[in-house]
Amino acid sequence: MKKGHFIGISAAIVTMSLVWILLTPVLFPANASQLDTIAPHAGFMAPDFTLSSPEEEMQSLSDYRGKPVLVFLWASWCSVCKRAMPGLQSVYEDYAVKGFEILAVNTTFQDTLTTAINTFQSEGYTYQLLLDRKGSVAQAYRLYALPTAILVGSDGRVLDVVIGSGISEGYLRSRLDDIFEGSK
Amino acid sequence: MFPIINIGLIAIQAAGLILLLSLFIGLWLVGQFANKIGTAGEVIENCLLISLAAGILSARIGFMLQNPSLFLDNPLSLFSLTPSMFNPGFGLLIGALITLILAQKQYLPLWPTLDTLSPLILWVFAGFHLSNYAKGTAYGLPTQLPWGIQLWQAIRHPVQLYAVILASGLFLWLLIQTKALSKTGFIHSGVLFNLVLLSLAMSTIITRAFVAQKILFGKLDIPQLVGFLIVPCTLLLIYDINHKNRRQRSVLIGIGSNINPAHNIPEAIDEINRNFRIRRKSGIYRTEAVKKTAEGSHYWNLVVEIGTRLPFPELLSQLKSIEQQFGRQPGNDAHVPLDLDILTFNGDVFNYQGKAIPDPDMIKYRYIVQPLADMSPEFRHPADGRSIAKILEKIEDHSQIDKISEVQNGITG
Repeated sequence: MKKGHFIGISAAIVTMSLVWILLTPVLFPANASQLDTIAPHAGFMAPDFTLSSPEEEMQSLSDYRGKPVLVFLWASWCSVCKRAMPGLQSVYEDYAVKGFEILAVNTTFQDTLTTAINTFQSEGYTYQLLLDRKGSVAQAYRLYALPTAILVGSDGRVLDVVIGSGISEGYLRSRLDDIFEGSK
Repeated sequence: MFPIINIGLIAIQAAGLILLLSLFIGLWLVGQFANKIGTAGEVIENCLLISLAAGILSARIGFMLQNPSLFLDNPLSLFSLTPSMFNPGFGLLIGALITLILAQKQYLPLWPTLDTLSPLILWVFAGFHLSNYAKGTAYGLPTQLPWGIQLWQAIRHPVQLYAVILASGLFLWLLIQTKALSKTGFIHSGVLFNLVLLSLAMSTIITRAFVAQKILFGKLDIPQLVGFLIVPCTLLLIYDINHKNRRQRSVLIGIGSNINPAHNIPEAIDEINRNFRIRRKSGIYRTEAVKKTAEGSHYWNLVVEIGTRLPFPELLSQLKSIEQQFGRQPGNDAHVPLDLDILTFNGDVFNYQGKAIPDPDMIKYRYIVQPLADMSPEFRHPADGRSIAKILEKIEDHSQIDKISEVQNGITG
């Protein structure tokens, strides 16, 4: 390629890139209207739900607005879930005083109710157990695999969705430290 | 969106799987490409694997340093497989540093090595965006276009796929350009890599416009701005590599003759010096003919370094015409009044019309390696960075070779 051609093409590329970048905020502004969109993904509002506890007490996610909440979808036959739960208990014991809540949503529609309750209670977990008998929460949160954990900020917005064993004690503690430090 | 792939009873995180697969396919392609053009594929792959491991480990250590209490409570968690406990920035930094150190230690030549990495860069770029598609992250703005996808309560631009499609197109271009990663044509080293980088920066600038959640600096998107920094840099580098007219390019030429060499060799040196400037030359060596069919009993060989501004194809044809002046007939390998071979060209690695540069014979035959070691003991192979001493040590050609003239400050006696 001739020197002159190359310089001409380069100048065109640089100019066009610059124009496109400057036009982006005008033609394709970051979506402000999605602020109210409800979806189970980071950045959107967390889908609300109302479920009963084993004591038949109705609880909604929206009852906890103002507090960071971890929605933890689990089943008694899921070994990864059961391995993660003692870690959640330990975090819960340390952070509950600051306002952190855990809603352990059992996918009762694909679990045995008594086994689920026994598993939970025999381990002495003190966070809230809820029963998804009809699978409505699983559906609203697009459950692909267990466990799925959804960290919801105090404004009701999804902060993170963790599928599988990633919901470790260490991960949760570091996220909560950020959340509570940020709100100071 | 498909966050989980179910294989039998096993549920696999699709995003991680896609990233790993693209990384390994990319690495495998680097090996293939390196074999074809002569760069040090194995060394490059090893460097990358070590850096990758170091990068992953440092990403975890970085996370632990940020959250020291976690580590003190449970030291073993340093090695847990949890993918969420990483500090990617720290991992990238350390991984890049280790790559640099390893590449320096192995004397890997910068541009040929980076050229070899082109397929890996394209695959990882495509893999990254495909994994975003699998997770539903970096999703697009709502659109009415017919190819919009249903995601997060809206019909959206499948922006992750735009990036994947652009990267795939680029990979196809790379395949065509290099004849399925086997030939490069005459191209200065570094051009390929910079073109790939330029195109990926352009892809990022174009596709980021359609992303819904932008990472803003003022009103502008940061990935677009980073892309915009890369564009002029790569263009400048391509310009510099292609139009280095200010200084002459250094070329090594192997000279040989088996017909009346005592006359032809000094004459040839004079002829070359008239056409180009000879910077350095080795002593003259006498060798038994490697090919049994050769007419003359002995070959005389030497190596010279010249400076030239000619592009490779012109230089090649000029050397051919000098050979013919001395009576060389094309196709006759037994009767060789004069043989002029371009061994290296400007430290570039390429493959032009079936001729590989650097010349693969350069590491095979003692009649080239010995004079070269003589002339420039500091020489390193432009494609893989090996020192001339190492090449000489590993050479399998043990034919008898005698020095018949010393180097005399540029003029042989």
